[in-house]
Amino acid sequence: MGEKVFLGLSGGVDSALSAALLVEQGYDVTAVYMRNWSRDLPGYRCPWADDLADAERVAVTLGIGLEVWDCEEEYQRTVVDYLVDAYAHGLTPNPDVMCNQTVKFGTFADRAFSRGADLIATGHYARVRRDQQTGSTQLLRAVDEHKDQTYFLWRVGEEAFARTLFPVGDVRDKAEVRRMCAERGLGVESKPDSDGICFVGPVGIRTFLLDTLERRAGDIVEWETGRVLGHHDGAFLFTVGQRKGLDLGGGPARYVVSTDTEKNVVYVTADPACPGLWCTQLDLSDVHWIAGEPPADGEYLVRTRHTGELRPARVEVLDDGRARVSFPKPVRTVAPGQSAVIYGGLVCLGGGIVEPDPVAYNR
Amino acid sequence: MTPDRMVPRSAAQVQATSGAGAPAPARDVYLDYAAATPLDPRVLSAMEPYLTRCFENPSAPYARARAARDAVEGARADIAHLMGAKPDGVIFTAGATEANNLAFAAAGGGVVTDAAEHESVLACAQARDAVVVSVGADSRVDPERLCAAIGPTTQLVSVELANGEVGAVQPVREIARRVAVMRQQRLAEGSRVPLWLHTDASQAAGSLSCNVTSLGADMVTLSAAKVYGPKQVGVLWAGEGVRLRPLVLGGGQEGGVRSGTENVAGAVGFAAALSIAQSCRAEECRREEALRLRLERALADEFPGMVVSGPRSPKHRLPGLLHVSFPGLEARRLVVLLERRGVSVGTGSACAASRMRESHVLHAMGLPPEVSAGSLRITMGRPTSADDIDYAAAQIADAVRTEMQRTGLTQEDMLSRAGGLAMGRRR
Repeated sequence: MGEKVFLGLSGGVDSALSAALLVEQGYDVTAVYMRNWSRDLPGYRCPWADDLADAERVAVTLGIGLEVWDCEEEYQRTVVDYLVDAYAHGLTPNPDVMCNQTVKFGTFADRAFSRGADLIATGHYARVRRDQQTGSTQLLRAVDEHKDQTYFLWRVGEEAFARTLFPVGDVRDKAEVRRMCAERGLGVESKPDSDGICFVGPVGIRTFLLDTLERRAGDIVEWETGRVLGHHDGAFLFTVGQRKGLDLGGGPARYVVSTDTEKNVVYVTADPACPGLWCTQLDLSDVHWIAGEPPADGEYLVRTRHTGELRPARVEVLDDGRARVSFPKPVRTVAPGQSAVIYGGLVCLGGGIVEPDPVAYNR
Repeated sequence: MTPDRMVPRSAAQVQATSGAGAPAPARDVYLDYAAATPLDPRVLSAMEPYLTRCFENPSAPYARARAARDAVEGARADIAHLMGAKPDGVIFTAGATEANNLAFAAAGGGVVTDAAEHESVLACAQARDAVVVSVGADSRVDPERLCAAIGPTTQLVSVELANGEVGAVQPVREIARRVAVMRQQRLAEGSRVPLWLHTDASQAAGSLSCNVTSLGADMVTLSAAKVYGPKQVGVLWAGEGVRLRPLVLGGGQEGGVRSGTENVAGAVGFAAALSIAQSCRAEECRREEALRLRLERALADEFPGMVVSGPRSPKHRLPGLLHVSFPGLEARRLVVLLERRGVSVGTGSACAASRMRESHVLHAMGLPPEVSAGSLRITMGRPTSADDIDYAAAQIADAVRTEMQRTGLTQEDMLSRAGGLAMGRRR
């Protein structure tokens, strides 16, 4: 038997192929279905039963064991509560980033290694490169740039990646992943991609927030003039740049420039060139560098949303450990709470959480 | 009836939905009749005119609606006759779950029930002041214990006629006798608090009598879906002393107790299904019992550590339900291995299985979690043949051996995990 690998198996296409590839490569594979927190409404069918059944079918086909690990408590604490708290404070968080840090590369990794795993594996589209000379490990974007998921992995440390395999990171594209699944009779090749926040399910984030946070009537205010244009049910429901759902009854298209959850005000503009909608600089807090040390100040590539454009930008590390990203020309404002992820070529170096833009917020 | 006409799909069709790769199984054997039964072709023919030609609203004023109205009332009379009851006590509902909810809505005050009930009963009980009494290791209710829980404010006692997970038949008649005595005592003491007995007979209707007089219950739930009739069709029968309170308001159908345009075809189908089920009941019980024992013996010979749950006496169990556990193995895994071999078995009541919690029935019986995790509920039905059972026995044994080999579990390991529950220690 080869090295012992614990693999996160979700019942989806990517982790199914990962499992098959690891088995073919001779690893001793144990699959783990991580049961995360889900809204357990009385009378509703639990959303993960079908996924678990699919995971079980994959495991049976490959002749590997499947364990179900209950990660509900840490998922709720570090992902769901974080998400709700961030929205309550007017931020737009990336829950997947937290899930990777605390559940997949936290609880799951810890438990796998304590169970004697040599390596862990997930179905993420990402690659790791181990430098034999320096002994260091780097996180690289996947071969398939359209599916690359390193945007969600910036808070994970090098020591975790040093013991991680990403079997689908080297596959050409998703169509190839599906084809390879079908070839192996894994039975999941036609499952749809699961995008979006898993635990919210089909109801969507807006419904989830309305059920979770208290509604508060507030004003929708024109950013330039301070004129009240309409009303809303809670500033936490709005995100910078949002155009739909303002319900202002006709007139020109308007965009959210900023939200103030304390005063419960949503600021909008009809002017696409409004300075509040554009920025040349992002300040990042809660910064994390995969290698442990920040990179030298200089020119890098920065991504501010999953599979978004990789833009050249200057990155400086500030004295207090925060970081500042400066773009050569204005870019669309990034919602505070989102991740900005920094790359040197193919290498994901780390990132930070975008702070509120001073232009949009200090009118 | 031609049994093979009721088999829902061919093995080849099943294979087409279960992914490429593996070869088609030699046989398709469905063994989950406690979860769902296929519509009997005779039931379908009885229903057909009311889905097409006689589609009118039974409440419509013109003459041509008469046939629909007569069909519903005819079905009500037929079902009442089969239950030994008067037609006006029969209320059509959308399934057994609704009928159970309707029974609970009739009673204010406290309720007494047992821990092995179906979730629709337990959920109704938990929503109010309820005493849930425990059951024995064979999942049977002790009538004395149950009745000791009845207090001065208790208005409803609810005990199913047969349990759908391990197949225990509950002593409903004995409970009814005790409840009747307590009711008389109440009257003698001048108390006006009613005391009613409800029994969910939906899992039992194919195997036991549903005669309300011999059951002695005040309310009885039945389901068409468990007797080769249509889904979402049920009945709550209530005796004359019971005043039902509607949960669904509207046009006042079903005597105002259950509004909504009548499911004419459903009612007709239910009457046909129940009539067939009751007429072939005795013979079918003997046949299914023989099949169950054949399967039980084949598996017990092979796996001395196997655990069979539920009452041992044939009088106290459903004839065609076999609940087996393979301690140390995972039922989910066995289900997947078996589906590839064309054999469909359950792991417990469908709701419990999908929530992946330990089954509340097995928990109530005190089955250790390690044993209950490896549990299969195998239920045979009218289309099941001896060849089906022999094929299933071979496939189950093969799946269990495959898993024992993969996990390194020996016969001795299974036996020791099963402890005193093992079949191998019973002889």
